[in-house]
Amino acid sequence: MDMLVKKLVLEVRKGNQKAYEELVDLYKDQVYHIAYRMLGNMHEAQDISQEAFLRAYMNIDSYDIDRKFSTWLFRITTNLTIDRIRKRKPDFHLEDPIAGTDGMDHHARFVADMPLPEDQVVQLEQQEWIQKEILALPPKYRAAIVLKYIEDKSLKEISEILNMPVGTVKTRIHRGREALKKRLSSS
Amino acid sequence: MACRKEQSQSIHRYLDEEMDLLEQRQFEEHVRGCESCDKHLSELRRTVAIVQSTSHFKAPDQLTDAVMGSLPKQKQTTRWRN
Repeated sequence: MDMLVKKLVLEVRKGNQKAYEELVDLYKDQVYHIAYRMLGNMHEAQDISQEAFLRAYMNIDSYDIDRKFSTWLFRITTNLTIDRIRKRKPDFHLEDPIAGTDGMDHHARFVADMPLPEDQVVQLEQQEWIQKEILALPPKYRAAIVLKYIEDKSLKEISEILNMPVGTVKTRIHRGREALKKRLSSS
Repeated sequence: MACRKEQSQSIHRYLDEEMDLLEQRQFEEHVRGCESCDKHLSELRRTVAIVQSTSHFKAPDQLTDAVMGSLPKQKQTTRWRN
């Protein structure tokens, strides 16, 4: 896998876009998934994923080929999502009613975004609930929790993706875990 | 209450499997006799299990095309080569 990725990256550097298409296919699910869990919104997740792949392509020459490509790509992705979260209106909150609707809040909008067969509805409700609790975490804890427990990354890889010492990652996971526990126990 | 604060770090180190065997045994023994730590630990485990249960899904089908469409035009040299 790593050899294949390396070969593809070298091809992309030579200007072969077909090779980049293969890289996109290899990583798009993970990139999209991270973006979705961080943002809680499918449109934004797609937007950020596209942007992440474009940036990776434009900066492919600055990528250190001896390191893991996915780590570098996920770093671009999480940086973009955290940036996006910061740029949202400071008072944006999922519980806020949407202007011009009769008490509909942003949660409802996300549900409406995802039409699913009936047998998946119960599961969806559970998923929505977890997603909501994850989105309630401050972004810096959110990233650590998403990478650790949803994407199953090691502490070392998380520290490289988020560009911070392993000790800081641990602290964020501890605090994120405590904050989630508090919310999940009270609901 | 004093216990809670003091042991909170231990609980996380235990969950992250960062204790040596002796420490681990001492901690487990403490938890057996301490209701608040026992509750805290099991709630954290439940929280982690719930978060881990989130389902994975695929990116939208058109994502690859959208990405490829957004890239600057391919370098001339490559087009000749192909």
